[in-house]
Order: sequence, then C-alpha cells, then structure tokens
Amino acid sequence: MQVPVVLKTKWFWYSVLSVLCMGGWTLLGKLGTTEISARTMQFLYPFGWVPVALACLWMRRFRLERSLRGTLYSVAIGVLGGIGGLAFFAACRTGGNTSAIAAATGMYPLITVVLAVLILREKLTWLHVVGLVFAAAAFVLFSF
Amino acid sequence: MNIPVWFGPAIVVLVTWGIAGLLQKLATNHLSAETALVGLVVGFFLLDPWLYPKESILVYSSRSLVFALLSSLLNALGAWALLAAMKHGGKASIVVPFTALYPLVTVSLAPVVLHESITRLQGAGVVCALIAVVLLST
Repeated sequence: MQVPVVLKTKWFWYSVLSVLCMGGWTLLGKLGTTEISARTMQFLYPFGWVPVALACLWMRRFRLERSLRGTLYSVAIGVLGGIGGLAFFAACRTGGNTSAIAAATGMYPLITVVLAVLILREKLTWLHVVGLVFAAAAFVLFSF
Repeated sequence: MNIPVWFGPAIVVLVTWGIAGLLQKLATNHLSAETALVGLVVGFFLLDPWLYPKESILVYSSRSLVFALLSSLLNALGAWALLAAMKHGGKASIVVPFTALYPLVTVSLAPVVLHESITRLQGAGVVCALIAVVLLST
C-alpha cells in the first residue's frame, strides 16, 4: 500500500505533535482554573514556557537570527496569545463545558483564513466556503 | 437562544488567536521556529506587569499550580511544534486549521479526565467544528 505523501512531510508530524500537546493544554488548563483565577493563570503562564524557550535557545546554540520584522511579529504573537489565553481561562472559569469551549475557541483559524485572503491574497476554494458554513453552524450549536 | 457566559471570552480568543495565526506565518518567514518562540515568550512576559496577581500564589494548592505550569509547558511545546510545521513548509492556511483539531483530544479525554458530559447539540457542534477545520485544511 502506498503511503500518502503528506505522511512523509515533517510539517504533518509537527502538526500532529502540536494537536496532542494543545489537547493536553486544554485539559490541564481546566484543572488549574478550578482553583486559580484566569488572571493568575495567565500571569503564571510564561513561566511554564521558559523551559521550552531555553531548550529552543540551546537548539540554536544561543544564537538567534536578527530580523526586526520577524522579532516584532513573534513578540506580537506573544502579546495576542497572552490576551487570548487570559480570555480562554476566563471562559473556563465560567464553569462552561470544556469540550464546547475548546471546540468554539479552536475555530480561530476562521479569522486566520479571512485575514490570509485579505492580507496575503490567498484564494478560497468552494470547500473552504463550505467549511466556513459548518463553523458558523457549530458556533450556534455550542450555545444550546 | 440562551447565550452562555463563556461566549464573550471565547470571541476574544477567536480574534486574538486568529490574528496570531497569520503572524505565526509572517514571523517564520523571517525567523526559525525556535527564535520565534523565544520572541513569543518575551511577548507573554510583557503582559505580566498588568496581570500581577493581587493575592500571593502560595494561597493556591500545589496541585493546581502544577496543573497550571504543566498546562503552559504543553502549550509551549504545541506552539513550538506549530511554528516548526510552518518552518518546514507547511502553509499557514493549512497548518493553523490542522493544529486547531486539538479539541478532538479534549473531547475524547474530557469525560475521563474531567468527568464532563456534553449535550447532543453541543456534540453536533463539535462535529460541525471538526468538519469545518478539515474542510478549511483542504
């Protein structure tokens, strides 16, 4: 049997690893927010990232590329990620169902796709449009 | 229709992380995944002065603090893997929706780990969300 090409790509397996880690993040995040406030959770958050950042520095032999634009983008991701993280923990603290919260907030690629079309001039296929319809339906269903 | 309390914060998550998804690709056009992650952590710490807790964190149980730190550690690993996927040729419009499939793990494990159940309509919503993510990845 022929192995699909995508299974031989590095980006696919890195993506799978990301999915598994992010799934664990939502579950442990929920367990943490049963006692800790959203604000304190987000305050503690960067400290959990430090070991991974140090590992990244070590992988780069403590030599980072110099790109002002790239640096500004990555710092902005951190700021936006932090604000989003605070909102995520606040959603968890409301006592809402974790599965529904994770699935609803997991639809952020909708915004990315729209921005990719508007800013990067990427084109949407009809399958993308159907996907957007399903996403909108999901958002309504989560409210029940 | 009764809008749940968590919808407001969820919309903030959608907007901020949606924009961050675009910036992830733009950042890895200029930087390695590792350097981008270091910048990301700097961005996280920039918010901390505003988030400084009013109470001592020692009032919380060590169990909750361990959950919080492990949660962020997994989040960091997930973010690094996402950036690495982009650096290794993955397109933003594919990798971002693909990695957003993580609710599959949540939905599969939440009944066991958190003893939560979901309604049929919410279950249908989860299915719709997953179909949406898959279609957006094509």
